Formats: sequence, C-alpha cells, structure tokens
Amino acid sequence: MLRFLVRRTLGAVVILLFISAFTFFLFFAIPHDPALLSCGKNCTPDNLKTIHHNLGLDHPVPVQYYLFMVRIFTGHHFAAGNCPAPCFGYSFANSEPVWPTLIDRLPTTLSLALGSMVVFLLFGLGTGMLAAWRRGSAVDKVLSSASLVLSSMQIYFVGPLVLALLVYNNHILDQPKYVPLTQNPVHWFSGLIIPWCVLSILFTANYTRMARSTMIEQLQEEHVRTARAKGMSGAYVFFRYAWRGSLIPIVTILGIDLGSLLGGAMITEWTFQLTGLGRLAIDSVTKTDLPMLMGVMLFSSAMIVLFNILVDAVYAFIDPRIRLS
Amino acid sequence: MRRTRTALLATVAAGALVLTACSSGGGGGNSTTENKDAKVKQSKSAQQLAGQITFGDDAASKGPAEPVPGATPGGTMNVLERDSYTHLDPGQIYVSNEGQLATLIHRGLTTYKLDNAGKYTVVGDLATNSGEQSDGGKTWTYHLKDGIKFQDGTPITSKDIRWSVERLFAPFITNGPAYLQQWLANTAGTDYRKLLPDGPYKGAHLPDTLLSTPDAKTIVFHFPKPQTDTPYLFAMPGYSVVDSAKDTKQAYDKAPVASGPYMIKNFDQGKSMTLVKNPNWDPNTDSARHQYVDTFAITFNHQAEDSTKRLMSDSGENQTSVSFDNAVDTDNTPKVVGDPAIYKRTVAGYQPFVGQIDFNMKRLTDFDVRKALALAIPTKAVYQALGAEYGAEYAGGFLSPSLAGYQKADPLGKAANPNGDAAAAKKILTDAGKLNTKITYAYVNTTAGQQYSVTIATALKAAGFDVQRKELPSDTYYDLIGKVDNQYDIYASAWGADWPSASTVIPPVFDGRTIADQAPNYAHVNDAHINSEIDRIEALTDPAAAQKAWFDLNTYIVTKVIPGVPTVYYKQLQLFGSKVGGAVYNNMFSAIDATKLFVKQ
Repeated sequence: MLRFLVRRTLGAVVILLFISAFTFFLFFAIPHDPALLSCGKNCTPDNLKTIHHNLGLDHPVPVQYYLFMVRIFTGHHFAAGNCPAPCFGYSFANSEPVWPTLIDRLPTTLSLALGSMVVFLLFGLGTGMLAAWRRGSAVDKVLSSASLVLSSMQIYFVGPLVLALLVYNNHILDQPKYVPLTQNPVHWFSGLIIPWCVLSILFTANYTRMARSTMIEQLQEEHVRTARAKGMSGAYVFFRYAWRGSLIPIVTILGIDLGSLLGGAMITEWTFQLTGLGRLAIDSVTKTDLPMLMGVMLFSSAMIVLFNILVDAVYAFIDPRIRLS
Repeated sequence: MRRTRTALLATVAAGALVLTACSSGGGGGNSTTENKDAKVKQSKSAQQLAGQITFGDDAASKGPAEPVPGATPGGTMNVLERDSYTHLDPGQIYVSNEGQLATLIHRGLTTYKLDNAGKYTVVGDLATNSGEQSDGGKTWTYHLKDGIKFQDGTPITSKDIRWSVERLFAPFITNGPAYLQQWLANTAGTDYRKLLPDGPYKGAHLPDTLLSTPDAKTIVFHFPKPQTDTPYLFAMPGYSVVDSAKDTKQAYDKAPVASGPYMIKNFDQGKSMTLVKNPNWDPNTDSARHQYVDTFAITFNHQAEDSTKRLMSDSGENQTSVSFDNAVDTDNTPKVVGDPAIYKRTVAGYQPFVGQIDFNMKRLTDFDVRKALALAIPTKAVYQALGAEYGAEYAGGFLSPSLAGYQKADPLGKAANPNGDAAAAKKILTDAGKLNTKITYAYVNTTAGQQYSVTIATALKAAGFDVQRKELPSDTYYDLIGKVDNQYDIYASAWGADWPSASTVIPPVFDGRTIADQAPNYAHVNDAHINSEIDRIEALTDPAAAQKAWFDLNTYIVTKVIPGVPTVYYKQLQLFGSKVGGAVYNNMFSAIDATKLFVKQ
C-alpha cells in the first residue's frame, strides 16, 4: 500500500510540474505585456523598464520559470514587495503575494464545495436509490425524467432566475454572500443556501442517474439474488448488499468532482459574487495576472490530483487487485 | 482622474451609462430627482457647469462644510463596487475608483467643494486656500491650516508635504500622475526621476529653488514655467499627503495613514474593505467633507448588472446600499427610468470622456475628404450604442461640458444633425474629385462597436466613400490604433480630462510634437497653429483668458483642421437604496459624492 501511494505521489508531482511549465510558457505566448497593468497612464518606455525589473520580467522566460519554481521553497523579496515561502509569485494586479491570497479565498470555496456536496449527495443518491428500488414505476419515470431535465440546466441560467424569484422580487431569502462559519453560523448558512442548491442541481441530476444505474446493476448481481433467495427482506438486501456495492463507482466520481470543486466553482462564484478560488481564477485571466493565475492553476490541479490519489487509495483499500496493478 | 485602459475601452466601445442633472440628488439631499424629461435635465446640467468652477479663497476654504439638508449621523453604508483597490498609497493613485476612495481617507493641499446649489469650487484642503501665485504663475505658496492631523493624531506639517512630493521621484512610484514631477523638473516623460533618483529615502532633497518649506506651515513651489492650473493639480488624489514618519515605501500601498474623515479598519484585497471614522479628523478644518456615516462596508466584484439589480430590488441591506462608481447597466436602464419609484433613487452627471472618430492624418491628408467624413458620419449610431440620453449627449466639440469655462458650440452641426449629412458630404467629394475614396475603418469587436460601425460604414458608403471595415480585438484595440504607422484611416477613441481644464485635453490629444506610438494623439495631427497656440495658452496666467483661448482653439480644430469628428459626451446614471441620503453626483469625481452620504434613520 505504501509503495502504491509513493508511486502515485511521485506521478502527481510530475503532472504538477508539467502543468506549471505548460501554463507558464503558454502565458508568455500571449502578445500582451503584463507590466502594462502596473504602468498607469504615463506609461513611458522607461517606466515600463522599471516595472519589468521590479516584477522580474526582465529575465528570459525559462529563467523566470526556474526562479518561480525555486522561490516557491525559498521565498523572495521583490522590488514591489516581500513574498515569503511558499512564494508563488507577486501579483501584478493586486500587488500582493499569491499564496496568502489563495489561502484567504479557500474558505469560501471550501464552504461552497462541501455544502454543495452534502446537498447533491443527499438528493442525488436518495432519488437514484428510490428510482432503482421502484424501477419501472411512475416514481422511477418521474425521477429519471426530472434528472434528465435538471442535467440540462446551466448555472448561469438557473442562478439569476433563482435570485430574481427568491431575492430581488419576493425577498424570501437573503442575498447570497459568504460569512465565515466561525463568525456567524446562521449567516454562513443563509448566505450560502442558494449557491449550494443551484450548484447542486447539475450534480444531483448526474448522481441520481448514476446511483440508479449502479444500484440496478447491483440488484442484479448473483450475491444479491442469492440473499433474496435465502429469504432476506428486500430492504435489508437493498441496504446491506446492493447499496455497499454501488458505492464504489460513486466514491470514485465523487473524489474527482470534489477535487474539481475545491479548485473553484467559477460560474457559481461569479453568478453569486462569491470571492473564492474560481472567481480569483477568472479575475487572473481577465487581468493577465500570471503569478495569480499560476497559483490558482497549481492549487486547482493539486486538488484534483490529490483527490484522485485519495480515491485510488480508497479504491485500492476496497479492491486489493488495484494495489497489484 | 483617469480610468484604466480597460475602462476607457469600455467607454469607447460598449457603454458606460447615463446621466443627467448633476446636482439633482435624491435620497434626502436638498433636491430630489424627478422623473422629468432627460434631455431637459441634460441641458440644465451643462448650463450649471459652464464657467462655474472657481478657485476658492480663505473664506471658501474654511470648515466646516455646509451641512447636507436632512442629514443624520450614524449607521452603516453598504458600498457595492466592481473593482477592488489595487493602490492605496496616494502616490500610486490615478484611476477613478481609487480616487473616489481617496476623497474619504486622504487629503491634499486643495480639493473640490460641491455646495448644495451645485456649484464647484477648488478650495484649500490642508491649505488655507487654493494657492497664492506670484512671479507670473511660476511661484505658488501654500499655508497649512491649524488642527490638521493624521489618523494617529500627529500634526501634518510642511515636512510631510515636502516628503510626499519628493517620494514621487522614487522608482517604486510608477502608477500615479507625473504632472507635478514634470513641472518641477521642466521635462517630459520620466526624465524627472533624474532630479531625485531615490526620492528622499537616502537623505537627498529637492533644492529650495524648486520646493521650499521655510516653516512648519508654509510650502512654496517654484516652477520653471508658469503653471496656472496648480490648484487643480493639487486636488488630484495622487498628490495627497503621506505621513513622513510612517512611510513604509511599498508597504504603504496596503496600509496608508489616513488624513481624511475616514480610515481603513480592514482591507481584504479583492473582497472587502471597511472604513470607520477617523477620530483625528477635525470638521472645522474641512470645507468639503462630512463624516455622517459611522461605517462604510465596501464589497467588490459587483458588476453593473448585479449592483443595479440589488439596488432596484431595494430589499434588506440593499436599502442602505450604494455604489460609488457603478452605473446602471444598459439592459436595466429602461426599467430604472420607467419606474418612478426607482427613478427617484437615481443621480446623473457627466463622465470626463469625450468620444470621437479619429481621422488618421498620416493617411487622410486631404482636408475636403476629412470634412466630408465629418459631415457624413452619423454620431447618432454611437449615441444609441451608449444608451442614448442616459449614457451620452451629442458633442459639438472635443471639450466636455464638465470643463471649466465650457462654451456650448456646434460649429460642424453634428449635435444638431446627428444623423449625418450624406448629401453635403457627397457634394464636397464630387467637387473635389474624391468620390470613391478608399477608407479603412477600424472598429472594436464589442457588441456596441460592431453595432455602430455598421451604421457608420453604411452612411459613409452613401456619401460616396469606398469603405472597408476592419475589426480589431478589444484587448489590443488601443495598442493597434496607437501605432503611428497603423494602416487604418478612421477609428474611435475617447479621452478624459485629468482635471476640469482643457489643458489636460488639447495638449495631449492634439499637440503634434507629442506624436509617438501609444501617445493619445491618435489622429497624428500636427498643425503649426495648434502647436503654437498650445504654447501661448499654457503661458497665460489669467485662468479665464486661458479657458476662453482653449475653447477658441477647440473651434479651430473642429472646423479648420478636422482631425476627427466629436461624437458624444459620456454620461452616467447611478442608483442608490431608499435609505441612502445625501446622494449627489459629483462631476469632478465622475461618481456619487461619498463625502455627503448619510444613512436615513
């Protein structure tokens, strides 16, 4: 098991190195000078030269990449300001080190992702199992149809619609916003309930369909049929045997989804003005803020890779054949 | 005050919004915006502004400020802003949203006072008046008021003013305005840094022949050339005072020491900022600002559509919300102006920008061709794309109604006939033997840019031009048209004044000696008369005479040179919550005046 984890971790490091290099060099392929962000109206060549130096943009791109990687571990004092380790650079646009900004944005994204996960697992698995249990019935047909409709919904459509109905026009719910859980749990909950639900719609639909199909598959397994033949009750067999077996593919997909969500739910954060990692990524792209973009990319990639490893580990724990492969 | 290049592009191509009656503030001010015809209010607005900006004396500069009728102290004001603040160090502040914040936390030698009657005056802020000039406008003397302090109670002295000026020469100050440095060094570009390469940080100082501080309350500037706009200059947020004893250089940009009525309690970059009352701000020293609100709770990332919807709903905390800068978004403008209950919660005014279609004079050397272009172009297309009367006003010249000494004029008849005159243009081309002249029309690939470019191209074809449209990407639009050797004949741009004087418009945009890649003389006009007039007017020491001369020169440019055709004066409509009082649009800030706001109790 240890060798398996070490092997996967080393692979993850290589993947992250590749992503960082790809992002870095791709950024400099864009015909736009990021120093212009800090140059103001009186942007003369001399001023631009000074800013290039202040931001370390006066080195060749490969050297800049090397320095970027080294400074993650050593930190660096830029002319524009200090950047202690882990130093992922100094934002061109915000005039701040990247790492503290990422950490600052993480709680919002974490709250959004975990809260949403609870909602879509609860509803997705619940309705999926119900549909499987009542396979072929009207309940199954209604739930299956509803999941198809919901899976075609987009956040940028549903979000403003929900806001208009529940917030702007009828004043039923509070304006979505992030309040730290430690500061006020009630406001934390009330501020995120709409984003959780909207973000969960698509996931709920997907998990409903997945839970239904895997559960039906499990119900047709020989050991399940054997259990029923031995006289066990339907509910007991359903939860004791079929349910456990159907969890394996669900856990796999959940790990990947959660990793992606922790990297930032861009459209949801944008729609509800939540300042998480997704919003930060969008701002970094629109402002051509390379250090921040690199930070968000690496963080998001690390989350996805990390959760993939965790899923593999859980999978390997459940199924020993994985460890041997 | 300038917007970022991105914002400027947005004003050129997309549509910032609206505005009307500058002083018609709702929400508990002295007047309430009524749902009247917008055009009537626009006209009134221009008349109110014309020639009204004066330089204040000691009496005008003495605090406290005139009370806002009905104002009550206390409460928290929620502020919905689109962009976070990148810079808080006065020396780094240039863009408009940071300048708006600066009016609350920073103070300079002078500032703008907007009284309850809607009159603007440049008054002494830290100084006792707007400035005392001598030596033909080369020497300017300021005396500091009694009782002015930083947020920690430290008195502000002439040493702080000297320090604030000298640190502008340091290499880390790259974002703020450079007028003062250039005036002192008597040079263009960034050569001024040679005067004091490290700022004051290694013990060097500007010589007394340029800047002297004979005592703790007196500051004397000795400019090599007359600088009659000096009172305007020191009203720029970029020249506010920095605490010399607590100057942390780069770090000051995140934690400045306040001198205004509010100070920063908390700033979470990209998310929020909280301003609380500065206990060491003395209202008796300030003739322009108030301190009614207990707390400003500012949050960022609110696009215009979001802030508009929140404020329209007027639900919960939105009732005590406002946006300093966000305009009503174009899509929701009809709902806002169509609902009297919402419309009464709006204010409107001018932005500093004037739009124009530039004619590339490196390529369009024939005057008749340029005149025919000017007559044929339907400026109505741009006007409509910017939100019609709520986002624009037809322009007759290149100088905005928000400038001091504004004279309404329409020598080419563009404001009177915004549909263009294709027949007259065709006759000029025919008489000159220039029918079917090829015109490469570069336009920006935004929705608005695409819309009005089609209308303009169609009109030019009807007038007898052979038009080729060339679409340019929005992110590099100004880079491309800013090249001296660009291969386009006509293209849109916009320019906004740094202070309400034509001296920050005509020299940068029309002085032929400043032509360079990325310089704002996008038409590449180089006319001997314009150049000599710029020199002559800049040497005038009488502000009124200078104002008149600038507007006369504007008429000359519009009719005798025609380096482009003015299209619109940009305007803006802003919305606020029902429990927000004192909301007044300030044309000098291009935003709601934050210093007058209060929460209705």
